[in-house]
Amino acid sequence: MSHATKAAEFNKDEAKVNWHDKALWYVREKRDKSAHNVQGWEYLRQLGSNIKANVLSNLDEYLVQFEANAKNNGVHVHWASNAEEHNNIINDILSKHNAKKVVKSKSMLTEECHLNPFLESKGIEVVDTDLGERIVQLAQEPPSHIVLPAIHKTKEDVDELFQEHLGTKPSQGNPEYLVGEARKHLRDKFLNADVAITGVNFAVADTGGVVVCTNEGNADMGVHLAKAHIACMGIEKIIPQEKHLGVFLRLLARSATGQPITTYSSHFNKPEDGKEMHIVIVDNGRTEQLSREDFRASLHCIRCGACMNTCPIYRRSGGHSYDYTIPGPIGSILSPGKDLKKHSSLPFASTLCGSCSNVCPVKINIHEQLYKWRQVIVKEQKQPVVKKSILKTAGVVLSKPGLYRAAGKTARFMLKNAPRFMIYNKLNAWGKARDLPEVKGQNFDDWYKKRQKNG
Amino acid sequence: MIGIKNDKKMGREAILKSVKQNKPELLQLPDINEASFEEDINLLETFKNNLKVVGGFVKEIDKKSIDTEIKVLHSNKTNIVSTTKKSALGTITIDKNTEPHTLENIDLAILEAELGVSENGAVWVTASNSIVRVLPFITNDLVIILKKENICLHMLKAYDQIAERHRDFGVFVSGPSKTADIEQCLVVGAHGAMSLAVLLI
Repeated sequence: MSHATKAAEFNKDEAKVNWHDKALWYVREKRDKSAHNVQGWEYLRQLGSNIKANVLSNLDEYLVQFEANAKNNGVHVHWASNAEEHNNIINDILSKHNAKKVVKSKSMLTEECHLNPFLESKGIEVVDTDLGERIVQLAQEPPSHIVLPAIHKTKEDVDELFQEHLGTKPSQGNPEYLVGEARKHLRDKFLNADVAITGVNFAVADTGGVVVCTNEGNADMGVHLAKAHIACMGIEKIIPQEKHLGVFLRLLARSATGQPITTYSSHFNKPEDGKEMHIVIVDNGRTEQLSREDFRASLHCIRCGACMNTCPIYRRSGGHSYDYTIPGPIGSILSPGKDLKKHSSLPFASTLCGSCSNVCPVKINIHEQLYKWRQVIVKEQKQPVVKKSILKTAGVVLSKPGLYRAAGKTARFMLKNAPRFMIYNKLNAWGKARDLPEVKGQNFDDWYKKRQKNG
Repeated sequence: MIGIKNDKKMGREAILKSVKQNKPELLQLPDINEASFEEDINLLETFKNNLKVVGGFVKEIDKKSIDTEIKVLHSNKTNIVSTTKKSALGTITIDKNTEPHTLENIDLAILEAELGVSENGAVWVTASNSIVRVLPFITNDLVIILKKENICLHMLKAYDQIAERHRDFGVFVSGPSKTADIEQCLVVGAHGAMSLAVLLI
C-alpha cells in the first residue's frame, strides 16, 4: 500500500490528526527554544556532521579499534551481517543463560530485525520497557515515532489497553495514574528478568564503551538487575573518541524533545562483577548504503526524530503511514536503499520544503536525498499511467510559452465560470477539503506589462 | 553445525571487507574549537536553574547541615542507603557484593557526585559512588551531594574532567526519571527515582 493510501486512512479522524499535528509541532518549538539557548549551536551541528563524515570514511578501522577495546574490558563482541544473524546470536546468548524472560529498552535496530517475534517463537518473553514502547507492544502495533513511539495513541486508548492487560481501573486517561500503574507492572518485570537488551546511542572507538540515553531509567533498571546485558548496535553508531560525546550529547536531546540532555546518559564500559556484557554489531544493509555516494550521509543519523516533528507530511499522516521501522523524512531516505520497490512511494511523501535538513543535528541533506531518490525511482520503477501522462503533458505545456499562456487563460476562465461540480471532483486532488484561490482578472505577465506601460 | 560457526566468522570479515570497499576517501576528523562555546555566565546559578527546569530540587547548604536538610526533605523514610561519609542517615549498609534485587524497597539513597554540568543540570555518578550500580535507579528518592566548585560549563568540559577515570560504569543524571509517552503529558517518576535533590556544598 502506498504512503498516500495509508495517510488517507489516518486522516479519517480529523480531530486526532489535528492533535497529532499540533503535538509534534509543539515538540519542534521546544527544540528551537532549546537550540537557541546554546552558544555556537550551528558550529556544534557542523562538528557533529564532520565527525560523522570522518567516521564513515574510516569506519572499518574504528570498528576494529572499538572491538579490541571492548574485549579488553571483558565485553563479548559479536558481528551480524543481517537481521537473521543478529537474532540468532541473541538467541544463542539467551540459551546459554537459560533465559526465559527478557526486558528490552528502546532499540530501533531490534525493531528493524524483528527480534521480538523471533524470540517469542522460541518461547521467550520479551517486554519492551520504555513506556511508549510498552503501550504499542500491548496494542500489537509497531512504534509510530522513534522517540515518541505511542504519539498516535490518545490517553483514553492507553487507559483501555491498561485495563485489558494490566487490570487497571478506568481513569478517563489520567496520565499520573497510568504511569504509576506502568511503573509497578514494569518493576515486576525488571526484578524477574534474566537478561536485559538495550540499543546503543553511541559506541566509542577509543574506549570500547557504549552510551545509552533514556528519560525513564528503563535501560539501567534492566541492565543492572539482570545477569547479562546485550547491547545491539548498527555499525554507524561508532564515534571516534569519548570527547566527541560532548558534541553529540549536546545535540541529541535538544533536537529530540528540547531537553538539555536526557535524564540518564549511561556509559557502559565493563560488566559488573559476576555479570556478562555482550555487544552485537550489525550491518543489515548499512554497508550497501555506505556505497551510495548520494545517500551515504543518511548514515550520520543519531535518531533524534527532529525531522519527523518538523515535517508537514509526517505530522499529518502519522508514522504508520510510512510502513517502515524508521518513519518520516529520514526513514524515507533510508528505506528505498533496503527495498526500492516496497518503499518507492516514500520519497514522494514530502513537499521538499527542506525543514528536515534545517533541523537535523548532524546536517543530513535529507530533502536533497529525497529528490535524488525520486529520480532513481522514476527510472527504475514503473510509474502510474495517469502520473506519467500528466507530467508529460505538463512538460510540453511548460516548454511552449504560447501554449502555457493559453492553458493559464483557460484555467482562470474555468475557475471563475465553470459550475462547482466540474472543478471540485475526483480528478482535482487540490480541491479536496479546501477551496482553490479566488481568480483575479489577469495573470502576473499581463499585470507586469500593464504596470510597465503605465510607468 | 560447522557451517553456522563459519557464518559467524564471516559476519565480521564480511562487514569489514564491505566497509573497506564502500567507504569514501578519508575525511579529516575536525578539531574542536572550544572557544566557540565560551560564555560568560554564572556557572552555579545556571546549573541551579537548569536542574529546576528538568524537575530536580537544588539547594546550596552548609556542609555541616547535610543531614538536617535531608531530614527536612524526606521526613519519614525507613530504608535509607548512604554511600557517602558526608551523611550518617543510612539505615542499611551495602557493599560491592550486595545482591541488587535486595534494594527493591529502598526509600532513599544518598550519594556523592563528582561533577556537575551547568548547561543541563546533570551530575556525573560512577559505579564507585553507587557501590551497587542499580542503587540510584531503583531507589524511590535520590539525594546527591555535589561540591559547588565541581560544576563545569558544558559537556565538552565535563568529558575533559572525567577523561582519566577508571572506566566501568558511569551515568550523567539530569533530574528525576520522567516520561511524556502518554499524550505528551509530562509525568515525573517513571522507572528510576521519583525525585532528585542535589545539595550543593
